[in-house]
Amino acid sequence: VVDLGGKLTDRQISAEIVAACRSGDRDAFRALYDAYKDRVYSIALYFFHGEPSAASDVTQQVFLKLMTSMDQFRGDAEFSTWLYRLVVNACMDAARRRKSDAVTADRLQLETFAGPDSQEDDYARAQTARSVRAAVSALPPKFRIAVLLRYFDDLSYEQMASALNCSMGTVASRLSRGHRMLAERLKGLKGASDV
Amino acid sequence: MSEHEQDILKHLPLVKAPGTIWASIEAALGEHRAPERPARHPWRWAFAAVAVLALLITGYWTAKHGSAGGWIETDSRSHATIRIGDIGSVEVEPGSRVRVIAERPSEHRLALARGEIRAKISAPPKLFFVDTAAGTAIDLGCEYRLNADELGLGLLQVTRGWVSFQWKGVESLVPAGASCRTHPGTGPGIPYFDDAPVGLKQALDNFGIEKAGTDPLNVILAEARVRDTLTLWHLLQRVDISERARVYDRIAALTPVPSGVSRERALRLDPETLRIWKDELAWKW
Repeated sequence: VVDLGGKLTDRQISAEIVAACRSGDRDAFRALYDAYKDRVYSIALYFFHGEPSAASDVTQQVFLKLMTSMDQFRGDAEFSTWLYRLVVNACMDAARRRKSDAVTADRLQLETFAGPDSQEDDYARAQTARSVRAAVSALPPKFRIAVLLRYFDDLSYEQMASALNCSMGTVASRLSRGHRMLAERLKGLKGASDV
Repeated sequence: MSEHEQDILKHLPLVKAPGTIWASIEAALGEHRAPERPARHPWRWAFAAVAVLALLITGYWTAKHGSAGGWIETDSRSHATIRIGDIGSVEVEPGSRVRVIAERPSEHRLALARGEIRAKISAPPKLFFVDTAAGTAIDLGCEYRLNADELGLGLLQVTRGWVSFQWKGVESLVPAGASCRTHPGTGPGIPYFDDAPVGLKQALDNFGIEKAGTDPLNVILAEARVRDTLTLWHLLQRVDISERARVYDRIAALTPVPSGVSRERALRLDPETLRIWKDELAWKW
């Protein structure tokens, strides 16, 4: 498996890699994991308001499911679509189990994490970043997951429709409404012209 | 991706997954594969022998009857496993009679004459079907348990994903954590969450095969929680026209009515309106 900066594309998720995973090849599975783990973790992290334990649980659950059901992957579907469907299901199931998807109690956690590569020493920029994360976190789940899928893998509407199990029109509508809600929440924010 | 979206993305940096996740995955996979300790007591040997016998029976049925056409019949002690193409499997419980009707990439169909099955399917929706005397369970990507007697009286319990149960144009959509009774001659009952208030579930039983009387409906409306809009959304389409407004009002009181849903169209059971409303409510289910 070729390491492509940690980002394998669907074309590179070859039948050979899938076959290797099916036969229990840990190295092949590890390559898949390395290629997608940060995106899966980030989506879950932002979905669960910056709560690392929830994001870790979902990431683990998704890859365990992937590993144990690889033989059910239909080669005619795109790998990432299948993977993100698992992510969507895991996030929504976990959210349901938690009963309440309240944001308020989790805001603090949103402010305490940041990507290791984002050295936001500029206070205003850091403030904007926190506000954007809080605004994303406050979106209703169906808009939040759509926006996150779009951001973290730039999926097409068709791929998102498949991952979200809805029509392309619904995807377009959710993204549009999600962006409108974000814009509304970020209106008036200092530095909001950035967003 | 638009410039606007990219601007926002700048503030949502990719966060590296902690290394402990991979360790947890490896540990979990190791647990799945850990060898069992040897049995120390005679009864364990007996148990092992029974288990081996069950596996042999399972293998026998899978090999002998796994293709379309044959009936699979388990006695009071045996199980069977049916592999459903490359999309999943069905466990046939004791005392069941099942037949594989179709086995094509575009359609896998079983008939459950009586007994109980547990299906685990991972595939796009509407590839796997189970016919009973009360209607057809249509897989929407899920795991579920379905039992039925020869007449079709039974219960569908969904543990993951969604199942649609249909009979002559009547449909019940059952998500994970919910169940739905099946009735001969009338098709699927109204689905309810397994953790719904006891009073609501009893009232649904009384709602029964015929259209509801006033008393059970009062109880259902009074006891419904936000999550039970699953039940109310279905109920809206099953109650007499004179009662629809009460059901509509109760759903609207529990959760805001989304744009695209009007009271007039909902009471008229406009299909597109009901679909929009269901899609919105489903986030609470």
